[in-house]
Amino acid sequence: MPDLCLYYQVHQPYRLGRYRVFDIGTGAGYFDEDANRAILRRVADKCYLPANRLLREMIEHSDGRFRLALSLSGTLMDQLEADAPDALESFQGLISSGGVELLGETFYHSLAALGDAEEFQRQVELHRRAIERHFGVRAEVFRNTELIHHDAIAPAVAGMGFKGVMVEGADRVLGGRSPNHVYRSASAPDLRLIPRNYRLSDDVGFRFSDRRWSHWPLTADRWTDWIARSAEPSVHVFLDYETFGEHHWAETGIFAFLRELPEALDRRGIACVHPSALMSREPADLLSFPTPTSWADVERDTSAWLGNRMQRAAHERLYRLGRRIRAQGDPILLESWRRLGTSDHCYYMSTKRFADGEVHKYFSPHESPYDAFVTYMNALTDLERRCDALPPRAPAPMGEMAVAV
Amino acid sequence: MRVLMFGWEFPPFQAGGLATATLGLVKGLLARGIEVTLVVPFAAGEADVPGLRLVSTAEPRTGLRSIRVASPLQPYAGAAEYLVLSERGQGPSGGSIYGANLFDEVARYAEVAARIAAAEPHDLIDTHDWITFEAGTRARAVSGKPLIAHIHATEYDRCGGPGNPEIHRRERAGMLAADRVISNSAMLRRQVMNQYEIPGDKIDVVHFGIDTGRESDQPDALPMAAGRPTVLFLGRVTRQKGPEYFIEVARRVADHVPPAQFVVAGTGDLLPRVIERAVELDLADRVHFAGPVQGPDVDRLYRAADVCVMPSVSEPLGLVALESLRSGTPCIIPKESGVAEVLRHAFRVDYWDIEETANKVVALLIHRELWEELSELGLKEVRAPRLGLDRAAGKTTAVYQAVV
Repeated sequence: MPDLCLYYQVHQPYRLGRYRVFDIGTGAGYFDEDANRAILRRVADKCYLPANRLLREMIEHSDGRFRLALSLSGTLMDQLEADAPDALESFQGLISSGGVELLGETFYHSLAALGDAEEFQRQVELHRRAIERHFGVRAEVFRNTELIHHDAIAPAVAGMGFKGVMVEGADRVLGGRSPNHVYRSASAPDLRLIPRNYRLSDDVGFRFSDRRWSHWPLTADRWTDWIARSAEPSVHVFLDYETFGEHHWAETGIFAFLRELPEALDRRGIACVHPSALMSREPADLLSFPTPTSWADVERDTSAWLGNRMQRAAHERLYRLGRRIRAQGDPILLESWRRLGTSDHCYYMSTKRFADGEVHKYFSPHESPYDAFVTYMNALTDLERRCDALPPRAPAPMGEMAVAV
Repeated sequence: MRVLMFGWEFPPFQAGGLATATLGLVKGLLARGIEVTLVVPFAAGEADVPGLRLVSTAEPRTGLRSIRVASPLQPYAGAAEYLVLSERGQGPSGGSIYGANLFDEVARYAEVAARIAAAEPHDLIDTHDWITFEAGTRARAVSGKPLIAHIHATEYDRCGGPGNPEIHRRERAGMLAADRVISNSAMLRRQVMNQYEIPGDKIDVVHFGIDTGRESDQPDALPMAAGRPTVLFLGRVTRQKGPEYFIEVARRVADHVPPAQFVVAGTGDLLPRVIERAVELDLADRVHFAGPVQGPDVDRLYRAADVCVMPSVSEPLGLVALESLRSGTPCIIPKESGVAEVLRHAFRVDYWDIEETANKVVALLIHRELWEELSELGLKEVRAPRLGLDRAAGKTTAVYQAVV
């Protein structure tokens, strides 16, 4: 029987509010505090609190045999701390149960790995400090924003002390090989790569509540049967945590599915493993990521964030400004800049399949990708001007703490 | 199937949405092998215009017969506008009481329609907006064939309220008399149900298509690269089209993009007020009033513009948006409009939201990437079969077949 490695991503961005060209220079805030607070509250009530409670019970009832990994973005942790401390405590309780391993990532859930190598390292360090502060743990395994991975990133990740990276098991990368093994990075030989089994992941993440799907309604027994069919060592299922209660509402039976999982796994002799436990496994092969790969959209590349002209223009402008802001050293500007670097902002600008009212639109607070771009560029213009208006200063020391804006 | 259609050709000085819509429909029907006898009013003094003015000269003519009836009727004539025309001498001589002659002309046209219906073999009668409704009902009284009422805009849209009660009454009577009503948009269908109390189950929605097969549809080089950034308003300068909002937007845009210039193309009863307001706002040297434009000049205007703004108070469809995108010019459309039901790659605003409209215009003028993305995807969208003439003709044919 294969082992099952489960990992859920927990993230919320700071969404932008309406910010018009006429707001530039007026001191108006960029972020929609009310909407962000309201969304956080809703997701906490519908997903984080019930799912944390359930997972904790499952871990305790299984005497620790049921286990999984979580990764919490820094922008989520900050928002929980400020606006939903009950949910933060609930995560702390769950993680202290011992059944949950935390992963490392960029604090701001950013595209810094593609935009600025130095900033990337700083944000990973900020995240490391944050999970130490909130949960008292250190991550051994890394997940980059939306599983974006690239051969050029691997050495930097290994250099920061991580032993492994969660990656997308994209067909073009695996080239016919199975995702159900641990691999060795082609560009950083000491680094292990854990590829996501996207079929089994999407069964739960996307198809679970699709009534037209031939396997609807999906039961834990049926799904674990599919895992049990694999003769390979480990199956890696990675999902957004918001799958539970938010993407699929409780009414779809998603919590019942989760609750039945430990017993269904036990009956088939499938053991749960933490990502760090896979680090000692013999890698099946070298795996190379010559171009950036991610878990987003059917393309599984970076086109969800950088696929059109607007997205590339926004991304390039952001990182150009970042070098100036870091050199300038003002912590408030830096924090604003970093929040603008959260990948979601670029995601909202995607015009891919926009006409079909696709997934990008579902998550977006903006009326259209074009509105997302206009608002974002107006905010960046304002930030540029604020940066211009300040006298130059000595750069802040490495790993400056986040401050409220 | 032979359709006797009471429609419109291009009025002399303005490519109005109604004429373009009915002619696009005719073109689509002909391509599907449906025979059309198109009856159109044309003003005396225009008799020298050769043939029927369709969208281009390369139309399929097989199956089309056109009959022009000398009449001063205009597609958008409300009672007030008709009076203006009469005073200018374009209408019938001796225009006296408010709107009275308009209804006389409608009645006279309907008499002619009855004679045509007796002479022209047909299986179905189709009409386009209230002025032709009476012609349609008279024709049906003669032939007994099913009657379709296409509704493109109502008196309610044109006046921003109930408008002329007699026109309202005639619109309602026409739609009630028809076997089926075809509405341009879901929005208009709701309005017809609410304001005219027409039962929803007799109204089909067919968003009309746009002709993108024309030779002149190749977009020019990026217009923003040369000259001053240009923002266009094109349409009747009437309350319905929101020209006053355009001028207020122009002021806000000019504050942020000093070289920007603005073009108001079209005419109407609000023109004097709009000109005055432009002067008041110190925009006299930046807002150009192009007057009524026609034919190739319309396409040239679209292409010369960087952004087309449609701040319509009421816009049952909004052909200008489709035409603008066809020329590769991004446009800003009202949230509450027929086109907003079908277009994804256009900015949407509340027509009264001057700040937001200006914000979007400024963004389009300063961010090349935004402009390129909207231009490219907008063009692609209007060229898609979903917005093509054939799709609209197909849906219309289905409605015809259900009643024949």
